[in-house]
Amino acid sequence: MHDPHPVRLVVEDDYRRNRLTVFFRLILAIPHFIWFFLWTVWVTLTSIVNWVISIFTGRPRPWFHRLMCGYVRYQAHLGAYVSLVSDPYPGFMGEAGSYPVDIQLPEEPVTQRRWTIFFRGLLFIPAFLVSSTLAGLSGGNLGSSRGKTRNSTGGGTLLLVCAFLGWFATLARGRMPKGLRDAGAYALGYTAQTTAYLLLVTDRYPNADPTEMLVAVTDRPPRHPVRVVGDPYDLRRSRITVFFRLLLALPHLIWVTLWAILAILAAIAQWFVTLVRGVPAGALHRFISAYIRYRLHVTAFLLLVANPFPGFTGAPGVYPLDLEVDGPQRQNRWKTGFRLVLAIPALIVDAALGGALLIAAVLTWFYALIKGSAPWGLRNLSAYALRYDAQTNGYLFLVTDAYPHASPLEGEDTTEA
Amino acid sequence: MTRSRAWLVVPLAAVWAVAAWLLWRSSLPAYHLPHLDQHALFPAGALHRAEHFSDVERLFWLGKTIIELAVLGVFVRYGVRWMRESAAGPIGTGMLLGMIGFAFVWAAELPLAVLTVWWRHRYGLSGSYLDATVTNWFALGAQFVLLCVALAIVMGLARARGIGERWWLLAAPVFIGLRTLLAFIAPWLLGGRAFHAPYVAQLQRAEHVHVPVRVLSGFSEPNAAATGLGASRRVFLWDPIVRPPFTPRMDRFVLAHEFGHLAHNHIWKSLGWYALFAFPLALLLALATRGRGGMGVPEAVPLAIFVYVVLQLAALPLQNVVTRHLEAEADWSALRATHDPTAGRQLFRLFASETLEDPSPPWWDYVFLENHPTLLQRIEMTQYYATSVRERGHP
Repeated sequence: MHDPHPVRLVVEDDYRRNRLTVFFRLILAIPHFIWFFLWTVWVTLTSIVNWVISIFTGRPRPWFHRLMCGYVRYQAHLGAYVSLVSDPYPGFMGEAGSYPVDIQLPEEPVTQRRWTIFFRGLLFIPAFLVSSTLAGLSGGNLGSSRGKTRNSTGGGTLLLVCAFLGWFATLARGRMPKGLRDAGAYALGYTAQTTAYLLLVTDRYPNADPTEMLVAVTDRPPRHPVRVVGDPYDLRRSRITVFFRLLLALPHLIWVTLWAILAILAAIAQWFVTLVRGVPAGALHRFISAYIRYRLHVTAFLLLVANPFPGFTGAPGVYPLDLEVDGPQRQNRWKTGFRLVLAIPALIVDAALGGALLIAAVLTWFYALIKGSAPWGLRNLSAYALRYDAQTNGYLFLVTDAYPHASPLEGEDTTEA
Repeated sequence: MTRSRAWLVVPLAAVWAVAAWLLWRSSLPAYHLPHLDQHALFPAGALHRAEHFSDVERLFWLGKTIIELAVLGVFVRYGVRWMRESAAGPIGTGMLLGMIGFAFVWAAELPLAVLTVWWRHRYGLSGSYLDATVTNWFALGAQFVLLCVALAIVMGLARARGIGERWWLLAAPVFIGLRTLLAFIAPWLLGGRAFHAPYVAQLQRAEHVHVPVRVLSGFSEPNAAATGLGASRRVFLWDPIVRPPFTPRMDRFVLAHEFGHLAHNHIWKSLGWYALFAFPLALLLALATRGRGGMGVPEAVPLAIFVYVVLQLAALPLQNVVTRHLEAEADWSALRATHDPTAGRQLFRLFASETLEDPSPPWWDYVFLENHPTLLQRIEMTQYYATSVRERGHP
């Protein structure tokens, strides 16, 4: 459907991490931070010159292009090192192919439409907002506004959360969990596309589609018992229902709140049943699954991830973005007993993705009002966030003891969401 | 209509008429109000100001009504096409159609809402452009929720096995029950702060109504209301009415008026009238939507909303007759409790300058918009009371 984005993420990381360098990662990165700061100052100044020249020529000068490409790559290398997406100590020059998490960029500068060059700073804003929720940075030259944006979205940044949780996991296991690694890599890839767009390396707008971003990652996560299924090309949106979306969702929000109270009570009962029998009760499992599915439908409708007005019953197979849930399976009693505590990391990732989901919804609202459709990338980013939310709820409400998988990639046997 | 059904209508109409007669009975004497000249009662400037303001306000109401009917009329024709935006079942789809219909009405009326604020500002009255546009969304949201509840009840009953087209027979009692419940709990939802004045206890004794009086903040216009049933009965005063230029004497009259509503069971009577209207309105709605498959299918919802709005408009004159009657009785009750017609007269004169209410509106305004007696009529009643006491020694 799409041409591949000219700014591509390459991931050749093997998940193994050196515990010692992980423990001291931030301290070890101090020379890089200083170097990155200096490079950012230099790039900021030269990018202004590059911008002025490009407005007249319609094409950045090769010297500027090489400088910007090196900066984008170096930013990705450093980001990957600091956030534990990769292990080796990166070089200082952002050389292509020198790091397991790399960015492929156009070798030569391309001709760009002059008006998009002129308005690049404005056009960049939506991508910057998304990038802020994913990685919390979008080029060191915008560092001063990072914190403000992060606070305004309400959730932490995905990369920060993955690095924080990954730090503990890696120290314990000597390996970075795949889900956190993939999520972090995705955030870095999107940030690289955003920075490249701002610095005129390309005029192609950043693509938030996680599957496309991680196309080079071949190993898929295992099939999860809670899966989101749907047609990723279902992008049509009704302008009138988009405009009034929040109000139209009000009856559902009231209903889902009432249902949540019952679902919590059911989950408490299910906790006792599962702890005693080792297997959840079938009736409670169905009831809670229906609640999680209905919650997915409502959130998808409210946040413009899907178009139609959902039903009130959480019935399967009737909504374009739907939830497949396996039947009740035997669960580990230890995992059941400490479920609330164990769910905390997943809830943190869920909150970080919630920030991205909210920003994506706001941007989609404007886009859909104008175009009558949802942007492909944001729709799929939102579907990823909703899938993780559903898996988190499935884990928390004892539908499954399989931990939510933070990887943006679908499980092996699953239809794409 | 078959002969047997025609015979059924006659006794039902008789029952309706008897019930209406019972509800209409009041403590009002058989009186003839003296005809007073409004020019003698109100300063010429204030009168002109109120009339001019009300003339345009009436046009706004007319405009809004025409827009509402026009938009919903078009929605009856084309509304069904939005069914494709729903993945819900018939009831959920009906809810979506209903909400979209009212969303269109809201959008179409938006310019008039802004104009209304502008017009009020011209006359120094309160009004916020933000409220008329953005905050108004909350009101629309509340309207959506209520609409969805109503449609869930109606469509749920219409789809229920064994009920079908007779849904209105069950829906009307359900709505009456909900209305009663709302009347009961509403006072507790409103809150407010306690109101203390030396005359409160005296009025409570005089009208045999011992209920709390509370003041509600955040309002810009003077008003008061009696609400609640049984243990929840309360009288609420909007805070502007307990501040100057309103005097304690006027407040005493206002309070006596509200106690009068409670003393004469006006909340129950209002519920009674609601019940009397609910059955025929529901029946007419059922008959009107039969051609589109009845209220069990979402295709009927756009038409149902249109018919409901038209029926409400048609019932408005009759409802206003009822409420004017109840308000007149409350005024009479206040006069008997306070023996202070002067305070009443001053109060109603002040209303004209504070709220710019036209003391003597044109007939169509009186029929469709006035749910209280006009200010002139209310002053005439105070005059009638004063004359009766002076001539006969009692009212």
